[in-house]
Amino acid sequence: MADRRLRGVVRWVALAAAVAALVIFVVAQRQSVDVSYGRSPSASGGVAEGSAGELSDASVPPVEEMTAMVAGADVVRLPGSVARWDEDRVRAAMGGEPLRILVAPPGLDKAEADRVGDVREADIRIVGTRVSGGIYQAFGDSVDDWRAQFGAGDVTSLLLTLIAGMREQPSPADVHPVRWREPTAAEVSAVAAQLRRTGLYTAPGATLTEVPARAAASAFPTGSALYVALPRHSSDEPAPRYGPALTRLFPGTPVVELHGDWIEYHGPQAGEFAEVVAASFYSQFADRLSRYAYPQANVLGAYLGRVTDVRYAGLFDRPLPYRPADPVRVALPFLPWLFVACVGVFFALSVQSLLRPLRRRRPREQAGAPARLAGLTALAVQMSALTDSRSEAALTRGITALTAARSALDDDLPDAHVRALLADAESHLDEAGRLLPYPGYRPADYLRGRLA
Amino acid sequence: MGWVWPFGVVVLLGSGFVAAAVPRLRAAALRRRTAWSAAHAAIAAAGVSRDACAAGVAEAEGLLTRAETIAAGRGGAPAAERAEELARRADALWREAARG
Repeated sequence: MADRRLRGVVRWVALAAAVAALVIFVVAQRQSVDVSYGRSPSASGGVAEGSAGELSDASVPPVEEMTAMVAGADVVRLPGSVARWDEDRVRAAMGGEPLRILVAPPGLDKAEADRVGDVREADIRIVGTRVSGGIYQAFGDSVDDWRAQFGAGDVTSLLLTLIAGMREQPSPADVHPVRWREPTAAEVSAVAAQLRRTGLYTAPGATLTEVPARAAASAFPTGSALYVALPRHSSDEPAPRYGPALTRLFPGTPVVELHGDWIEYHGPQAGEFAEVVAASFYSQFADRLSRYAYPQANVLGAYLGRVTDVRYAGLFDRPLPYRPADPVRVALPFLPWLFVACVGVFFALSVQSLLRPLRRRRPREQAGAPARLAGLTALAVQMSALTDSRSEAALTRGITALTAARSALDDDLPDAHVRALLADAESHLDEAGRLLPYPGYRPADYLRGRLA
Repeated sequence: MGWVWPFGVVVLLGSGFVAAAVPRLRAAALRRRTAWSAAHAAIAAAGVSRDACAAGVAEAEGLLTRAETIAAGRGGAPAAERAEELARRADALWREAARG
């Protein structure tokens, strides 16, 4: 029966599929939700003094000497100092009582920085681009502030804020005397040619020689970011900003532009991305960056780490590019339904296999048994009127066997058993028929005559 | 949806066991009924032979009594086969005695 075989196969297949679904489900329990906002692969951890190359060769004279210098001039610039400001504006802000300003180079170690702090006669101390005076210290708090402070060493805005604070006046509006401009076509083509070759353009005076590979790979997984390193802008001319021009030239490619310690991002999603990264990075590191002279590579490495952090933070509903879809996870919600379907098929086929013998009566292999029973019974009835004492025992035995055969037939017992009982009855009746004085009562003759 | 798994496992195991056990039980019950049918037929035949035999046969009486005792206690197919065999031997003894 092909139909029955097919049902059996389907039943086993359903069972196997259900077990497979169950096993997959159990195994999948091991896989936890693995998207973590706290496991960004950026380099993290503290920085030891001097270990990141933040100390410069510049030093400062002894305290007495500096005190004498400050006493002799309103503004003292120690060799190597980088801070500059719009002197007219600052002088105007000071008004009638000028403040003495001591400007020290960045990258001083702790002892040297303490010496600068010990010059009591200086009203305002500027170490690198860190501006402090009295109990006050001025911080930039916008991208424009940081760009001026770290990209050009301009501290005009910080000085004005500090002076206002020391005079207990309201903070003035930010001013940024440093001007930025679009680069000329020649400048852009020179930079672009270099970027096409190596992906990194280092202008004369910039210290970036190599992009930190690991930080860059995790920050920009597509691997095609371009880097433009420029020195800190120090002239009064407007400084070129290559980012917008390069973004037009390399659409879809991240462009990281460095001006001294200032790093900015151009390219895809720059509108929402650049400011978040810059604010996050410079609000945390502005204090260290302003006091020390880090190599550009180290600043860039830390910046790229922050880019990675922001990317992993999943802000802006940007698709996370670092996690391909796992087919098992995609299929998991479907698994219970598959399992239920297989269980249902298996259950239905099992029940059906149980009900089949009940629904359909077993076909009689030999339909002759009832007819033979009827024939033999009729014979026994006829013989019962003719028996004598010799044959009655055999006849009674035959009738007993016939009764047993009939109840076996009624109970649906196997055919072989019914036929054995009938054969038994027939032999007994045969014995009785032989003992009768009349011929034709032996079962074989009687049944043949009856059937004929 | 978590309840699906234990529930499904229970259904799978349950229907598997039932599907395997029920036909076996059914076959065993049929065999038992068949064996008892044969045993009762043999006992009845032996009873007829006893009634037909004028002389008492003590051994056959004992055999038939044992067969009837076994039948009265019910039991499985082996008990039925044993009762049938005893009844057949008693039947043969009585028929022998009646013929002789």
